[in-house]
Amino acid sequence: MKNFIFSFLALLLLPAYMSGQAIKGKVIDSNGMGVPGAIISASESKTSADADFDGNFTINAKAGEILKVSMLGFDAVNITATSGLMTITLKESSDTALKEVVVIGYGTRKRVDNTTAISSISSEEITRTKVLNASQAIQGKAAGVQVISSDLPGSTPSVIIRGLGTALGGRTPLYVVDGMPTENINNINANDITSYDVLKDASALAIYGTRAANGVIIITTKKGKGEKVSVEIESFTGIREPLKKVKVAGSNKYAHYTNSALQATTFSQDQPVNTDWFDEITRTGTYSQNNVSVSGASENIKYFFSLGNYEEKAILNGLDYSRTTFRNNNEYKISRKLTLNQNFSFTATKSTPKPLSAFTNAYKQSPIVPVRFADGKYGVSRVGADGFASQTGSSFNNVGNPVAQLDFFNEQQRSQTFQGGLKLDYEIIESLKFTSQFNGEFYTWKQYNFDDTKEIWLAANPNKVSSDYEKEFPNANINLLTKGREEYYNWNFSNYLTYNKEFAEIHNIEVTAGIETNVKGAREKLTIARKNVNADENYWSLKDGEYATNVTSYKDEVFNEVKLASYLGRFQYKLMDRYLITGTVRRDGSSNFGKDYRWGTFPAFGLGWVVSKEAFLADSKTINLLKLRGGWGKLGNQNVPLNRASYTSGQTAYLGGSILNEGTTINSQIDPKLSWEITEETSAGLDFEILENRLKGTFDVYDKNTSNVILNTKPYSTSGITNVSPAHVGEVSNKGYEISLRWDDKIGENFSYWVGGNFSNNKNELTGVKDVILSPVIGGNLGNGQDTKLLDNTSIGQPLGSFYIYEYAGFDATNGKMLYYNVLGEKVTQDALSALVDKKYVGSILPKSNYGVTLGFAYKNFDFSVDGYGTNGAKVYNGKKGQRIAGENIEESLATDFWTPNNLTASNPAPFNQVPVASTYYLESGDFFRINNITLGYKLPLQSTGFISACRIYVNAINPFITQKFSGFSPELNGDGDPYKTQGVELDAYPTLRSFVIGANLKF
Amino acid sequence: MKKIYIAAFVVSAFIFTGCADDFLDVEQTESISTDDIELFNNDAGASQFVTSIYNKFLNWDMTSFGWIGLSSITSDDADKGSSPGDTGTDKDVLDALTYNASNPSAESTFNANYDGINRCNQALNIIPKLDKADPNLTARLIGEAKFLRAFMYFTLVKCYGGVPIVDHLPVPGNDADRIMQLTRKTAAEVYTFIESDLNDAIAALPEKSAYGANERSRASKGAAYALLAKVSLYQKNWQKVVDNCNKVTGYTIVDDYASMFRPAGKFDSESIFEIYAQGPSTGKVAKGIEGYSNTQNPRGTGGWGWGFNTPSQSLVNAYEPGDVRKAATIIFRGQTLYDGREIPNTVDNERYNYKAYSSAYTRDWETDVDIKYLRYAEVLLMKAEALNELGQTDLAIPLLNQIRKRANLGPTPAVSQSDVKIAIWKERRVEMAFEHDRFFDLVRTGQAKAAFAADGKVFVEGKHELFPIPAAFLKQAGTLSSQNPGGY
Repeated sequence: MKNFIFSFLALLLLPAYMSGQAIKGKVIDSNGMGVPGAIISASESKTSADADFDGNFTINAKAGEILKVSMLGFDAVNITATSGLMTITLKESSDTALKEVVVIGYGTRKRVDNTTAISSISSEEITRTKVLNASQAIQGKAAGVQVISSDLPGSTPSVIIRGLGTALGGRTPLYVVDGMPTENINNINANDITSYDVLKDASALAIYGTRAANGVIIITTKKGKGEKVSVEIESFTGIREPLKKVKVAGSNKYAHYTNSALQATTFSQDQPVNTDWFDEITRTGTYSQNNVSVSGASENIKYFFSLGNYEEKAILNGLDYSRTTFRNNNEYKISRKLTLNQNFSFTATKSTPKPLSAFTNAYKQSPIVPVRFADGKYGVSRVGADGFASQTGSSFNNVGNPVAQLDFFNEQQRSQTFQGGLKLDYEIIESLKFTSQFNGEFYTWKQYNFDDTKEIWLAANPNKVSSDYEKEFPNANINLLTKGREEYYNWNFSNYLTYNKEFAEIHNIEVTAGIETNVKGAREKLTIARKNVNADENYWSLKDGEYATNVTSYKDEVFNEVKLASYLGRFQYKLMDRYLITGTVRRDGSSNFGKDYRWGTFPAFGLGWVVSKEAFLADSKTINLLKLRGGWGKLGNQNVPLNRASYTSGQTAYLGGSILNEGTTINSQIDPKLSWEITEETSAGLDFEILENRLKGTFDVYDKNTSNVILNTKPYSTSGITNVSPAHVGEVSNKGYEISLRWDDKIGENFSYWVGGNFSNNKNELTGVKDVILSPVIGGNLGNGQDTKLLDNTSIGQPLGSFYIYEYAGFDATNGKMLYYNVLGEKVTQDALSALVDKKYVGSILPKSNYGVTLGFAYKNFDFSVDGYGTNGAKVYNGKKGQRIAGENIEESLATDFWTPNNLTASNPAPFNQVPVASTYYLESGDFFRINNITLGYKLPLQSTGFISACRIYVNAINPFITQKFSGFSPELNGDGDPYKTQGVELDAYPTLRSFVIGANLKF
Repeated sequence: MKKIYIAAFVVSAFIFTGCADDFLDVEQTESISTDDIELFNNDAGASQFVTSIYNKFLNWDMTSFGWIGLSSITSDDADKGSSPGDTGTDKDVLDALTYNASNPSAESTFNANYDGINRCNQALNIIPKLDKADPNLTARLIGEAKFLRAFMYFTLVKCYGGVPIVDHLPVPGNDADRIMQLTRKTAAEVYTFIESDLNDAIAALPEKSAYGANERSRASKGAAYALLAKVSLYQKNWQKVVDNCNKVTGYTIVDDYASMFRPAGKFDSESIFEIYAQGPSTGKVAKGIEGYSNTQNPRGTGGWGWGFNTPSQSLVNAYEPGDVRKAATIIFRGQTLYDGREIPNTVDNERYNYKAYSSAYTRDWETDVDIKYLRYAEVLLMKAEALNELGQTDLAIPLLNQIRKRANLGPTPAVSQSDVKIAIWKERRVEMAFEHDRFFDLVRTGQAKAAFAADGKVFVEGKHELFPIPAAFLKQAGTLSSQNPGGY
């Protein structure tokens, strides 16, 4: 392996040299962009060649000979070959879409020749919405791709492609960044991306085999182009604020409501303090990004450098995030047949996280509590005899002071990611190309968290003094410092051959075959907690410092390595430019599974028919393109919960004396057959362009079935094994359709516009569980003993991520108590409910459909665009409201209109002090429609030959408007991204933000 | 050049195919793989698998709240206790004999014992493979594991009747093993299995005196004989009871009854098999039966525990005047304990279990209170009962009197075989109160219905002899197993 890398490096240093008698040149379009895939044929020499990804070609021919240059989507030209570097400009034919190239994995394909479902998103669309992670920017732009994101800086959006097919396994699509498979693209600067392709159907995905079940997103970063050095600068700055706030009760209403709950006059209804806790913990957020890129190309080298910096001061006080990215992509043409691509990226992030529970505490903490008392001490929830907040009164809730919480929370995280790769393309003989690609990734992370234990206690107990702490907690630590370090190293090495040939003018075949090795290196993690460190953080780590006696916890973990070995093959055949066949097979071995079950074969095929190429449509003015395609394939998911057999230690006992004996046993039962989750998908699609290519559309249907979903089963009671045992026992189905339409037109010379949209519908269902008893997944915990979600044997027929709670039945008009339906349909109070029988499935966090709309125009130098996104059919749980117990605050609408003996027909039940059971009372519709982005840009009228060749200034509004049914902050609740944990539950959730941005792009 | 590339490609593909499978063998780093048995291939390693079985007896589900409910609160010796509103999950229904098939205590006890049996089976599977450990040691360890497995099956058969006999590690997916795990055997088959394990244990185990000072809670030959005697008693094999009791040698009853339940009495000359608890003394990891003391200790103002499993009036009445065992078994509120601690009158219940009281670690979750599961006094009483049944009443009476004498009582007035039988049963009750024997003894001797009636509860014959098989297990078993009779 090492030798291989060295030889690559040697190649890198080789002086580029020229050889042969070939005619060289570049095929460009009217904008000067290379035309990849253009076919150059010399009839006299009987040779032909394809232009590469950037339009460059080399052909064995004689100078003076006539070359025919053709490309789908362009008008073919005949031109005389010259010995110097030729530049051939092709004029686009009217059906522009035909020239589009899609990235298909281990190669590219003209869109028109592709038989699979792939959504390509342009770099322009990705950078239009000013967000950190490119996947957040594509929300609503690709049918069948659902993005659930959070505006928390540095968070990773959940991307679900054509429905969720696994319950416990990995849900993230596979990202392939310049050939490097990875699970996260937070380290990629969206400005560096040139194409973002989402592979959606099995026939496209099968080439990625084991890891493709959740879809694959292929990201290609930019390369240098053009003759001269080009410097581009992009800068923006913006402000951010919550898109929607929740109005909580003010002091007097709080006092009224809480007094009613307590049936006492504990609180005065004429309060001197009215703290708006949300305002106290938030600020107007600001963010900015600056990017500089330098790129260009000479005959043998293309280069691209980019440096970017992103800074955000988040709306939550003290939460800051910054990211610096550097990228260098070079391409060396070493010889006529040998091309070397090298890419490298470095990303450093720094953040000071703050606990999101501050949002929940701000909602629940009483407004009568001051941020600080007059003497400067933090306000606490104690009430004096006068009914006002006081330092010495009796405590009336367990909610901390949210401002103090943020002030005391002292954490910092830093990470660095290095990604790089070398790719060698060698044309062995004409039509046969060998590609060897190595990519590596190194990640390192460090963190500290300082807990000022004693000061926090004193802040919560203003009536106590320092010496009380020692008295009450004689041996307790006064503070605690936790430090963490983590790193890993992953690499991927693939070698493949591509053979592409046209026979007898009508048969075109392309065959790809290769092998790949992937290692996800062992993640190493070190966590040390130390008590009673120096109060000054500069002195936490002294030279020769010895802290063994202060260490309270020391964890040193090395996680299991994961290896993959793969063989891949693809056959693509095109007959008469209109009948298309693709066959793919990938065979993967994964170290995650037992010896006899680690190899799996993932076949797929696709068929396509370009109907519009048939004689009966060839001359049609109305139908410019009509293509039917369909396919079938099998995909795997190896990122599944594994239950590696291991010894259970710690079962110690004294056996009669003072010697502690070690005890060990085995408390897990391994199913040796544990292997991939396998998804089978059948899909069909239709692409069309009509009315002079002004209306384009795509329609897709699919039926996906994961027949061996891994769920945790309970070993038989008599086995004595208490750990759950994962087994292939579930079946999940996803069926759906996707439509996208777009209209592009011009009115006059100066005005062009577009309007488009997409809609996708997916029906997700746990269709079956084998005859076993599942160990239930109980999720969506509200932190008060209440859970909201369930997956067990009763979940058959429900979508994944289903809520399982009591059904609210209104309140008892005689006493205002909340009522719920029990299993018999009777209305009972919460004390009479049985957790075993009275709960119901009441909908899932997964939407049934989502849609996106886009429209825009360009008028002279102005450009304007609007993008919107919406979802339907999801449920969200108002967790913070559902947590409220005695003495905690509530929404103003509730505090204004609730049951009292004098208001029997109020819209809300009487106040109460109990922990509320999880019920549909707190479950709301997650439907929303949001304008994600409005952009208005203006291109300064500059000479393209001037020092500044182009300048565009723009203003941008991100998430300016939303219509939502949910009464909380945001119906888009990614939480921890797990449908059985906090996803879809608004508790400790970061609000969705509205941002206003001003920025400029400059080109030198 | 091109040939080189093609060759390289072909060669690498070839090599790749050849070693891909080895390449995919990844060593586990986040937990110790069960393949690495070599790590345990020494004396200390072998011992660990048996230690984990002893450890099981310290667990909450095995020996604590649920077990207390099942073996003690149900009986006429004890009431639920605690405050009226605190059911202790299901202790109210256990006390009232109104439990059903999903009773949590019955379920946790069932599961905990099978958890322990798994640990036995793991040890029995692994230890014979450890060829670098001392063979004498591994033979003994196997004996211990078999004793402990027999002990747990005895608990299961007493509680539930016939249960599945899991005598080896089941292989997941193996149908025979599935059937083994899910099919209830008859009580007789379970008893036969227990006896077979005990006979193996007897052959392998040393006498208690052969163990060092730090290993006194390990199972010994004497313990195996004593348990075999008790198992025979439950099967009314009277001669076998006598024979096995005779083989329990080297033990004597101690003079001071109360001392046995205090730290000084750990592993005294009377103790045959006890669960050892070492409280959280300085520098030591706390190891004791989880919550055993706390759940039973005085509750309310001036108390510190949960106050469950309180001695009943019926038990108080069972002691003859002058019996020292009453004061050693029962804490009466308002009294001063042996260590000077006063139990104020403000605690919630009139009486508490003295045998669960820890002086040194009063408020700790894991204290130094042991459970003496087999004592020599019981061996004497078993032998007396068996001899009496065999018609040798005259030989039985001196044994009974030996126990009574220690309790500061005169010789028994009983003379006839039937009176002596009743006298021995009564003696067992007061001698072994709160030692998790009474409920099963009532069932064994057929006294249950009358005894419960005297206590104001209805013991349904044909039902309450056995606890319900957990509904969760029956759901797994389907048609392979059925519920105990009586309409659970």
